[in-house]
Amino acid sequence: MGPLFERGEDGERLFAFIVDERHVGEDGTVHEGMMLTFADAFLGSAAHRGADGKTCVTLSLQASFLKGAKPGDLVVCHPKLERKTRAIIFVSGRFSVGDEDVMTATSLWKVIGER
Amino acid sequence: MSSTQVDTSGFGGYAGPVFRDGDAFTFEIAEHHLNGADRLHGGMMMTLAAIVLADVAKDAAREKEAEAQVRALSLNCDFVSAGEKGETITGRAEVTRATRTVLFISGELRAGDRILMTATGVYAIKGPDET
Repeated sequence: MGPLFERGEDGERLFAFIVDERHVGEDGTVHEGMMLTFADAFLGSAAHRGADGKTCVTLSLQASFLKGAKPGDLVVCHPKLERKTRAIIFVSGRFSVGDEDVMTATSLWKVIGER
Repeated sequence: MSSTQVDTSGFGGYAGPVFRDGDAFTFEIAEHHLNGADRLHGGMMMTLAAIVLADVAKDAAREKEAEAQVRALSLNCDFVSAGEKGETITGRAEVTRATRTVLFISGELRAGDRILMTATGVYAIKGPDET
């Protein structure tokens, strides 16, 4: 599904992918499945970092599809660590193309081995 | 009843093949659907839920207007348990409520008796010419 891009030092970190023909559904915009897969990968990466490198698995992910992205668009993910406890991490994310948001997502992660 | 392959053109093709037999959708977990931990990839599982919910939403929209299209506004997926290679996943979904312009869909993915994912989605109904 890639390539997926990652940029930044500790703290602010950006993730991105460029939409191509493989990613679109019947209506010519990115398939929800691709957007969710992208969100899972990158919000998961933010959760993993928030858990100090421990393995995290997705418990729940909610996404709102504001606008369809098209082939050629660079979709950028801006993750935000909302809260972390020992066993649970809350991560939200804004996904934009240029100045416009195309998706917002919130997610909940379990840190494996912690309780 | 005979089973038909769900139209998963474009990106949906990676998640397939997905078959539909009446209300039941089936899908077999293959090597390329796995994540690094050899479980069904989370993105794959959500894609599968998105395909099942969208197909049920499209049916509901087309009961009123033959050429209607649907667009996902929101999807919520809960990861209840993990999927293993070789398991056959069964998906089901139903319409919770239909208004003139919006559909509320609720569904689940199972491997036998075990629930893998519960999902709800909100879909906008569009006419054939709307974008």
